[in-house]
Amino acid sequence: MDARALQPTRAQFIAGSLAVSGASVFSTINVIAQPTKTLVVGLNVPQTGPYSDQGTDQLRAYRLAIGEINAKGGVMGMQILESVGDDQTKAPVAVENARRMIERDGAVMITGGSSTGTAIAVSGLCQEKKTIFMATLTHGDETTDIDCHYHTFRRYNDAHMSAQALAKTLLAKYGTGRWFHITADYSWGHSVFDNLTSVVEPKGAKTVANVLMPLGTTDFSSALSQAQAAKPDVLVITEFGKDMVNALNQAAQFGLTKTAKILVPLADEYMAKGAGDNFDNVVTTAPFYFKYQYEKYPEAKAFVDAFVKKYGTPPSNGAECAYVDMYQWKGGIERAGSLDPKAFIGKMEGYHFNATKGPEYWRAWDHQGINTVMVLEGVPVAGREDPFAYAKVLEVHDGDAVSITQAASKCKIEDS
Amino acid sequence: MPGQLLDGFVRGLVYVAIALGLTIVFGMLRLVNFAHGAFYAIGAYVGLIVAERWGLGAGLIVAPIAVALFAVVFDRVLLRFFYDREPTSQILVTFGVAIVVQESLRLIFGGTTRSYPIPAALAVPVNLGFTQYPAYRIAFAAGIVAIVLLVWFFIRYTNYGLIVRAGVRDRTMVQLLGGNVSLASTIVFALGAGLAGLVGAAASPIYSVDPDIGFSFLVPSFVVVVIGGLGSFWGAVLGGLIVGELQSVTTLVFPAASDVVIYLAMALVLLVRPSGLLGETEVIRG
Repeated sequence: MDARALQPTRAQFIAGSLAVSGASVFSTINVIAQPTKTLVVGLNVPQTGPYSDQGTDQLRAYRLAIGEINAKGGVMGMQILESVGDDQTKAPVAVENARRMIERDGAVMITGGSSTGTAIAVSGLCQEKKTIFMATLTHGDETTDIDCHYHTFRRYNDAHMSAQALAKTLLAKYGTGRWFHITADYSWGHSVFDNLTSVVEPKGAKTVANVLMPLGTTDFSSALSQAQAAKPDVLVITEFGKDMVNALNQAAQFGLTKTAKILVPLADEYMAKGAGDNFDNVVTTAPFYFKYQYEKYPEAKAFVDAFVKKYGTPPSNGAECAYVDMYQWKGGIERAGSLDPKAFIGKMEGYHFNATKGPEYWRAWDHQGINTVMVLEGVPVAGREDPFAYAKVLEVHDGDAVSITQAASKCKIEDS
Repeated sequence: MPGQLLDGFVRGLVYVAIALGLTIVFGMLRLVNFAHGAFYAIGAYVGLIVAERWGLGAGLIVAPIAVALFAVVFDRVLLRFFYDREPTSQILVTFGVAIVVQESLRLIFGGTTRSYPIPAALAVPVNLGFTQYPAYRIAFAAGIVAIVLLVWFFIRYTNYGLIVRAGVRDRTMVQLLGGNVSLASTIVFALGAGLAGLVGAAASPIYSVDPDIGFSFLVPSFVVVVIGGLGSFWGAVLGGLIVGELQSVTTLVFPAASDVVIYLAMALVLLVRPSGLLGETEVIRG
């Protein structure tokens, strides 16, 4: 083709320019003439990778909440539209998704995440973009501690709360003895390890080893061989999602579930289902367990019933957090009467509410949700009424009693 | 340490079995098959479904057959049109099929991680003197070793193996001599795929099953093939065992690097011996 054929004539250039300017003028008029009837929220969860079960379940909960909210008139009369991204449990992907949601789709709030690694990264971006981030399934301390930000809120329990809640059970049930740790090698795993050892070591527990395994490991046999050689009294598996299922199932094949007591500091319904009978007797923590809150709180019952009706399966604890976070964001916007983040944050800090687990509140100085922490013990598959009904409740701790104090926290939240 | 070395050996055998399919297909067809991980995933799911109803043994029989049949259809309907195209087209089409398979599995079975139990007799560790090792992994390793030897026997000593080896060297000449290279190609492709399907079914009681599982084994398997030498039978075996041992021993001394170490090894091999440790024509010699 002649190169000149690609070059526009002067007349074509002028006509094209006029068309473009005309389109932009009319589109501007269109926006002004029509008040905004919709708003976009960014749902940034892993749908592939090691935490995909958890991400997919959160997405279900978000969609349930959005459907309910829209059916009842939306947020201040505006219908919620979703912009969805698969963060693959990778921080750079999560950040790129959030950037697209904010810059291209005009998202006024980002929510999601099934890992502390992605949550911290997205939190940083949202602070830069002055966009609200409702972090969902992130359990590492950093999210509302050293990496806390003005625009970020996290309702899910953190590792400090889990470790403090576990303290009594750990010492009573597990004793001190020799502890062997297999830990996910990123911010969350390190956070849980630090918290656990700071609780049990002063009481006399000896940490034999801490083997750090990369996120997404499928074969834990090398770490388990080491654990077997060390003959520990307690094996702590600080892994999450599919990684935990593989680690625990493989630990059973190595005979470790028979020779050592197993501790999984954080679990959910999908992990317990995947591990089956290997989850029997395993002690863990969770912020929500559908069987327990269902019986106690009408709001939890309504949520679980709606979730089961729509999806045919009960919600995992991450899904519960996603559902409540969506409603908390809606409530904050409506109390503020504005989409302005500053007005929203002002109405969230120190706000007390009842959602699905009794009284709780948003702590003002670090934006951490203060709510109950449960210590659970796994039951065998034969003892489960439902494949997801994986545990019995050992203890329920008040959030204030187990959360970090302001004096001990490294959180220095920005002014805006 | 002996426990770690045994563990590296067994882990390496998983890579060997997957990489073997990749390398013999490349050797015969000069095809870089990115859908090979998908064969593993299909095998894992077929094995899972059959094993849940009729036991693991039935799963191990049905999975490789089902995957081999799938591969034959894939080859006849789509892939054969790309035999004579440039490698980029082959990579794109096989990669595309891999994604289609992965997302189809997600659509049919959901994204949930699934696992199936090991038969009770094999669910306990065995005392080997120097270590306690899971009985299932030992049985798995023995099975893989037997299969590797069978495949080698097929390529080295059967008439089809002869056509395969001759076809690698000069496809046109074998056809002129009356050898059915096209049929042999299909058989090789089905064999490689069936092998991946079998490993998928056999390894699933160890590694749980989800739609992304194929890709998580595909990448290390390519590393194995590159280290061993593209198209080399014993190269795949050597490469697989090296990768398995490297990962296992690195987990002992510096676990954070256990993922990275295999890529470092690959880079080193490419620098020192670009055609891989055992070259690229070993399959011809058997």
